[in-house]
Amino acid sequence: MHLRRISLLACLLWTFITAESGWTRVYIDIEQPELQPLPIAIAQFEDRGRSQPNLGREIMKILTNDLTISGFFEIIPRSEFPEESNAIADPPDYESWSPSRAEALVTGGYYSREGQFAIEFRLFDLVDKTFLGGKSYKASIKGLRNIIHRVANEITYLITGEKGIFDTKIAFVSTMTGNKEVYTIDFDGHNLRQITNNGSINLSPAWSPDGRIIAFTSYIKRNPDLYLFDLTRSAQVRLSTNPGLNAAPAWSPDGTKMALMMRKEGNAEIFIINRDGTNPKRLTKSWSSEASPTWSPDGRKIAFVSDRAGSPQIYTMDRGGKNMKRLTFSGPYNASPSWSLKGDRIAYCGRMDGRFEIFTISPDGMWIRRLTEYSGNNESPTWSPDSRFMAFSSTRGGRSHIYVMNANGANQRRLTSTRGNESSPSWSPRMDR
Amino acid sequence: MVKRFCIVMGVILSLMVMVSCAKKTVKEEPLGTGKAEEKAWGKPGEEAERARIEEKSLEASLERKKYAGIEGVFLESSLLKDIHFGFDRYDLTPDARKTLSQNAELLLKHPRAKIQIEGHCDERGTIEYNLALGERRAHSTKGYLISLGVSPDNISTISYGEEMPLDPRHNEGAWSKNRRAHFIILSK
Repeated sequence: MHLRRISLLACLLWTFITAESGWTRVYIDIEQPELQPLPIAIAQFEDRGRSQPNLGREIMKILTNDLTISGFFEIIPRSEFPEESNAIADPPDYESWSPSRAEALVTGGYYSREGQFAIEFRLFDLVDKTFLGGKSYKASIKGLRNIIHRVANEITYLITGEKGIFDTKIAFVSTMTGNKEVYTIDFDGHNLRQITNNGSINLSPAWSPDGRIIAFTSYIKRNPDLYLFDLTRSAQVRLSTNPGLNAAPAWSPDGTKMALMMRKEGNAEIFIINRDGTNPKRLTKSWSSEASPTWSPDGRKIAFVSDRAGSPQIYTMDRGGKNMKRLTFSGPYNASPSWSLKGDRIAYCGRMDGRFEIFTISPDGMWIRRLTEYSGNNESPTWSPDSRFMAFSSTRGGRSHIYVMNANGANQRRLTSTRGNESSPSWSPRMDR
Repeated sequence: MVKRFCIVMGVILSLMVMVSCAKKTVKEEPLGTGKAEEKAWGKPGEEAERARIEEKSLEASLERKKYAGIEGVFLESSLLKDIHFGFDRYDLTPDARKTLSQNAELLLKHPRAKIQIEGHCDERGTIEYNLALGERRAHSTKGYLISLGVSPDNISTISYGEEMPLDPRHNEGAWSKNRRAHFIILSK
């Protein structure tokens, strides 16, 4: 409810449109394995009302942090700004920037009164000396962080051609209370929220494509049952109670179904059930173990783990269970597949020299790329909705925590810093829709 | 019609003969081995006494338990021993079979006891694949107990994957303890 209310309140007003409609310059090619961050200057936002002190600093902090952790930008420090006073005017004095490394400039202003908050930003290309675009936003002051994330989304859009995902969240499991509970956290590591609080074992959270529900498995009733937690109503229902297993839920891209692991004849198989838990349909029939289903973004295929060849490996099949195909052949243990939302890569974790590392592979089984090479185990990759980032769990720092990296493996940073062990991240869909 | 009736009757009669024969051979067996008969039938008082002692020792071995966050209490017996598995394996080692024979012996003496076999894994490998592996471990354990005569109706299985390590340390000593099938008594 919270997010929905904010999106209703936030009046998104286009104050400017991109100056040139035929703009095609690619500032950052995020498909490149070696990404060159764009040097960007962010001027202090101007207080256009008598807002609370520190608000400007807070805005700056959130925005610079978003743009920095994305790995797409290099923030030019204030000390490198030109001294000319009209350097950050509208339009800026482009000439004064010519000695600087900065290639883009963000300026803007804000206004806050009686619980309301408004902000406007403008983005300039300092090399081509053009105005790239801008937007203004209005919301309740409680939605401040969310609005600044949207500013960062928009700046990212103007520079890279695709909106950022700075307002998304990541669900995960943590033992910080002593047992495994489900939590959510913002992309920037703020707003930790505890979702389950039942003292039991809670596993494998999976965010629904509409962003409203988190499916997970819990042992509350001495059986790994599947539950749904409705984030807007903070209410929970028990959905699937097949004796033995109801685990590793994966929502179909249209949100109408879930693939999951269920027990059949003494081993785990992949099933599909309706969103309301009805009509279980068995997809795999084997004497082996099947685990961890993940859908292709067009909803036509499912990748999963099977040990039918003697060790856990990644396979794909049609959503009807036909055309099974083995994907991974190298390594003794490959598991935890996650299909990118662009569809062109499947991330997974594989055992190498006794440790787990994150890899990606194309859906036809080609072009394996290794993304982690640190100490500790790196597991459970999950893609951001723009397929530009991945979250995963890693024990590189001793305990297991959630980390985020760019899809090419660059810019790995720790997201969670609790006393517990964190695992099983699931990235939310875009909330800014 | 009559013909078919005759055939059916014939089948039934021959079945009856077979059954009575089978019964007979069962009866005959202890007669053939004198010592066994003496043990089984000779001193009923001693046998009952032993059963009483065993019943007592089972009673004494029971401990009421509850898992945090999981509904219901259950009993655990120190006489029902865990069995252990190799890494990423669910086949039963000779040691495991030996332990299961002892467990089965106890369970056969308490035919009303409902048990649950828990399949557990070490922390290595993914959480979800380990759920599947724990399932296989519990299932192969159940299969062996059934082959030893324990009623399948008395055995349920559950996989806890890597969620309930006995030893939380991160070394081979801990891992080999954690790869196990554990037995709990839901009712007796």
